[in-house]
Amino acid sequence: MAYFDLIILYCLKQLNGERTIYSVYHLLKGKKSAQTIQDAHLFSLTKFFGVFMTLTRSSLEEAVHSMSKQGYILQSELEPQHYTMTEKGNAFLELLLKERPLPVYLDGLKYHPLTQLVWERISILVQVVSNLVYQENKYIPIQKGKEIHQWLKNVLRKHSMDRAEIGKKLFNELTSCLERGEGLNPLVLSLRLTGHQIIGLTSMQAADELKMERTAYHIEFLNLLHFLIQDLEKNPESYSILTDLLMETDPSLVLTLSSRKTYELLQRGIPFEKLPSIRRLKKSTIEDHIVEIALNVKDFSIHSFVKKEVQGEIIGAAKSSPTRQLKTIRESVPQANYFEIRLVLAKLGE
Amino acid sequence: MELEKILYQYFGYSYFKPGQKEVITSILEKKHTLAMLPTGTGKSLCYQFPGYLLEGAVLIISPLLSLMQDQVDQMMKMGEKRVIALNSFLSQEEKRYAMNHLDQYKFIFISPEMVNSDWVVNRLQDIKVSLFAVDEAHCISQWGYDFRPDYLKLGELRKKLGNPITLALTATATEKVREDILNSLGLSNANRVVTTVDRPNIALVVEKWNRYNEKFDRLFQLVQELQPPGIIYFSSKKVADQTASFLRGKGVGRVMAYHGGMEQEQRILVQQQFLNGQLDIICATSAFGMGVNKDNIRYVVHFHMPLQLESYLQEVGRAGRDKGPSVAILLYVPGDEQLPFQLAEGELPSSAQLDWFFSSLKSNPDFLKENSTISPDLRKMGGFTEVQWRLVEDFLSVHLIEGIPLELIRDKMKRFVEERLASKHTNIFKMKTWIDSAECRRLNILQYFNENGDTQITPSQCCDICGVNLQNYESRVPQEGEKEEYLMWKGFLRKLLINESAPK
Repeated sequence: MAYFDLIILYCLKQLNGERTIYSVYHLLKGKKSAQTIQDAHLFSLTKFFGVFMTLTRSSLEEAVHSMSKQGYILQSELEPQHYTMTEKGNAFLELLLKERPLPVYLDGLKYHPLTQLVWERISILVQVVSNLVYQENKYIPIQKGKEIHQWLKNVLRKHSMDRAEIGKKLFNELTSCLERGEGLNPLVLSLRLTGHQIIGLTSMQAADELKMERTAYHIEFLNLLHFLIQDLEKNPESYSILTDLLMETDPSLVLTLSSRKTYELLQRGIPFEKLPSIRRLKKSTIEDHIVEIALNVKDFSIHSFVKKEVQGEIIGAAKSSPTRQLKTIRESVPQANYFEIRLVLAKLGE
Repeated sequence: MELEKILYQYFGYSYFKPGQKEVITSILEKKHTLAMLPTGTGKSLCYQFPGYLLEGAVLIISPLLSLMQDQVDQMMKMGEKRVIALNSFLSQEEKRYAMNHLDQYKFIFISPEMVNSDWVVNRLQDIKVSLFAVDEAHCISQWGYDFRPDYLKLGELRKKLGNPITLALTATATEKVREDILNSLGLSNANRVVTTVDRPNIALVVEKWNRYNEKFDRLFQLVQELQPPGIIYFSSKKVADQTASFLRGKGVGRVMAYHGGMEQEQRILVQQQFLNGQLDIICATSAFGMGVNKDNIRYVVHFHMPLQLESYLQEVGRAGRDKGPSVAILLYVPGDEQLPFQLAEGELPSSAQLDWFFSSLKSNPDFLKENSTISPDLRKMGGFTEVQWRLVEDFLSVHLIEGIPLELIRDKMKRFVEERLASKHTNIFKMKTWIDSAECRRLNILQYFNENGDTQITPSQCCDICGVNLQNYESRVPQEGEKEEYLMWKGFLRKLLINESAPK
């Protein structure tokens, strides 16, 4: 079975027929909506949040269709977009997962916004240090973008030491980190790296080289990067250079550009009521931004948006409603509006 | 000082390539210059070099954003930091910073659409422009195959900047196009430096097959026999992708596709791998090649027919820059001209689209924003492709500035599209005529560019008509096998980051 299908099957099993297959779509695409993020928590699917950003509806539908045809899942009669596992499907999935367990370190919900940035940083860092070590200054940087080059400059300035020294240090840190990860294949990363007189492979080439399915390779690559980030977060003292991969990762960076602007205005103390006119956006759009901020920025307080006692009631209603659907909560807490419910749920997910 | 000395000092070369010295001398003598130099002969040196001798900045107008970025990268790589690319890639902040510090730059690349802004033009007027260089100058001519309406504004820009010394650069332009370039730029007396389009070390071959399958089988055979590295050009991203994965599957060397539909990181990697000798074959669309400076490309195959002889020559010209024997093979099957016709039509908006577009503009003036830009919503609603939309925007902005009413612009644009289409068709027919001709391919091309044909190339290295011998181009150098060390991750990282041979 294709690795992609395996992941879809696993997601459907976790959903247990309580959501449509399109909630899987939103989850894998990494949609930053309250509902999707609640669902990721509720059904223990945080791992896979945002792992297939380029997924199309039709490729998801295709996978679902094929698994339904093979008798692994069953379409609900009342709600045709809902599927449940068959006995055959459960047995099959169990067997598959024994053979190839789910990636241990993968944590899409937590690291999805950081992953690309960390990859870009690590690849340019290795390329530049490698060329430094070989005293080559004529080469084309494989990452473009002013921000990343600025970051690199800062890192190199901070560790201004002998070129040979910095190469050795980076080598030691990288190897010791990669050796710490249990069950990781360091080639998944090393094949992609560019250095002096050697250009790294594309994701597709690396998968072919390792004789892995491309989707499986992609997930393994994310798994490895997420391990690296976790290890850096846990043991910053072991890594003097690599910790800088996480340098200045402002919490608001994970926000969409427009939300970030709203966030900045809020930080400056502009009241909520004035935001729609300042930003020339609809009130509902600003509300979406604030929910996104609440979901992503840990220390963002929602107290100025929802009264304490209303928060308590919403939490109570959410806990007694197993599926946490907004509509059911609204019905039992009529004094709260949808915006308030979404905000509270956003904070509840943590 | 002797020019060669300066060349060595700034660029590290000992000799000029053909044409370069004439162009540079002409500019240094303060003469307007039109230069037609084939691709790969270092056109950019022609404006970089004078930059170091002239007081003030060199302004370079360049139509392709990716090309512009490439050139800036290359110059930075060579250690020239006083260089900037002004284009729509810049953020508002970066743009503002650059505009306020314009006098700090020696080399200013600018895309034609930026010239629409009065603000930009005003800032340019404040600095001293010592050389006004127009890259890909054939874009200025309606007769050129790659006409861009916003290039028409360049004549006026020149005037506003006080008629600086001007250099118009192109790789391929017929006599008619050259005249057009000079007229549009308002250059009545200009030096012309025109080098031959002939590349004597590249054999030109056309092979005709009856069916698509035969053509594909032949391609498969060729890539197994010919000495790599090579480029195979396709007119379709999909076919380029499919062929690359087919060839990989068959174990034919190291093959990758390259086209505009790929992510930037992948494109950079594939291009760099090819330059670095890690790939043998690129299955590419015309997006590949600009700024690719690889000397030892041994063959270029065209799986689809190019839209005109000019692009054919540009693409073929990527082979054999080291002067070593190289071959260009165009594979043709009856009916292949259909694809170019479709592509040519796809580049232009249809008459119905234009009618809809102008009536929408009229009934809803909000779509038209300040600076004569148009709301991108209209593009989506009208189903315009990127190329079509750029044309519509350029055309509209050029004419709105002149204060022409919408109805007139509409009619003008429709006529313009018809003419463009007719001219594209003519180009395709000329390409087809060249394919069908029974005369020497090389002489035929020279005639097209109004050159006197007297090449003295042995028939076995000239073309299929003269009697080329393809065995000359077959693989003799065995493929290198590096591999192993690659698959030991730790050793590989050690090699990347620790230089064992460095002096302690």
